[in-house]
Amino acid sequence: MSARAAPDRQDPMRIQVSRTGGFAGIARRHEVDTGGRADAAEWQALAEEALRSARDTPPTGVPDGFRYAITVGDRTVYCADPDLTGAQRTLISRVLKEGA
Amino acid sequence: MHLRTDGDLHPVFCTIVPPHVLDHLSRSADARLADPARRTLAADGLRRDRRRATALAAVPTTPGVGAVPTKPHRTLYDCGNGTTLPGRKVRDEGDKPTSDASVNRAYAGLGATFELLLSAYGRSSIDGKGLPLIGSVHYGEEYNNAFFDGEQMVFGDGDGEIFLDFTVAVDVIAHELAHGLTQHTANLRYEGQSGALNESVSDVFGSLVKQYSLGQSAEQADWLIGAGLLAPRVSGDALRSMKAPGTAYDDDVLGKDPQPGSMADYIETEEDNGGVHLNSGIPNRAFHLLATALGGNSWERAGQIWFDVLTGGELTANADFAQFARLTVAAAGDRFGAADEREAVLKAWSEVGVPTKA
Repeated sequence: MSARAAPDRQDPMRIQVSRTGGFAGIARRHEVDTGGRADAAEWQALAEEALRSARDTPPTGVPDGFRYAITVGDRTVYCADPDLTGAQRTLISRVLKEGA
Repeated sequence: MHLRTDGDLHPVFCTIVPPHVLDHLSRSADARLADPARRTLAADGLRRDRRRATALAAVPTTPGVGAVPTKPHRTLYDCGNGTTLPGRKVRDEGDKPTSDASVNRAYAGLGATFELLLSAYGRSSIDGKGLPLIGSVHYGEEYNNAFFDGEQMVFGDGDGEIFLDFTVAVDVIAHELAHGLTQHTANLRYEGQSGALNESVSDVFGSLVKQYSLGQSAEQADWLIGAGLLAPRVSGDALRSMKAPGTAYDDDVLGKDPQPGSMADYIETEEDNGGVHLNSGIPNRAFHLLATALGGNSWERAGQIWFDVLTGGELTANADFAQFARLTVAAAGDRFGAADEREAVLKAWSEVGVPTKA
């Protein structure tokens, strides 16, 4: 657990994922609002896990690799393929798939 | 494998080397490459026959420690839709084709790239020393990308909705491998204009591998990057067009191809490392203009000029378009004299709005 206080699990949480770069260079941006979702607690736990040990500045990444910015509440962290944690990978794919 | 230059052991070319490659190597500034090539040429009297591609089939071979490899060493891995690299080894050099088309396409694509570098430019693999080539397929689930991680190529299957398997296009495979070539040569920083040059060089050599494989001239080539990679429901021909940047696709989901084709439309952005996949359209179009102005096989003169700049040692890691352009003018002059080639290079950069005077 980070030094930062854990968000209150009852509060709605906005989770944004922005993906740039990649071979095609096509950006995608999606977000999930956990408010009113039955699986809100699960999303919040995943988001907290994804933020843990993440960087506050964008990594260099690799040629053609995707770059990601993950924003949870008021904090934005950065990561890049292929060096993602399992939680980051899961969160990114779920937000980009389910986000509106 | 590394060259041995000590003692009495001379590096030898241990497989079938086309004569024009030996001729090229014999002019190399690197004595380790030039000397054995000169010996082979002299011994076989091949200079007068160098247009005959079959002539070298009978070159004496002495398999030896320290020879510059003239055959690729490819190893393919299967990630099994996981993300652990490299994955499970499924095909090594010389192995028979597997039942997995992705593996076989990647194997063939790596071979085609090795072949162009060796045959057209006399370079043994991406490092010039026969570096083994490693590729992993079936990376991730429905993964819409391919990348070079600094050591190997990685290919996703695509989601079938927007992208198909990234191994379907030989130019995409060659594009990834060309990132390795750049890493081992000019090492262009993957950011801003040097990053766009890094991307463009990969598109150029990606397209050249495709053209060389298909035996297409500049006029016959489609000049597209990633043709066949977009799923059938997507409105588009490919991911990028070197001939007409900004026209490769126009789709409800993907949007419109945003690439500029001249400096007037250069995109300033924080995303994509400063738009490395966007502004690459500008040097891409310059290369297309040069290649079509010269005509014939693009890999011979236009490709040679680009290769000379990339590998010549003068291109800096943080080069901008103008530095690259000036060096192509100089390279054209060095290799072809004050001739049509140099004029065509000047004209190509002028058309895309990149200055060639310091």
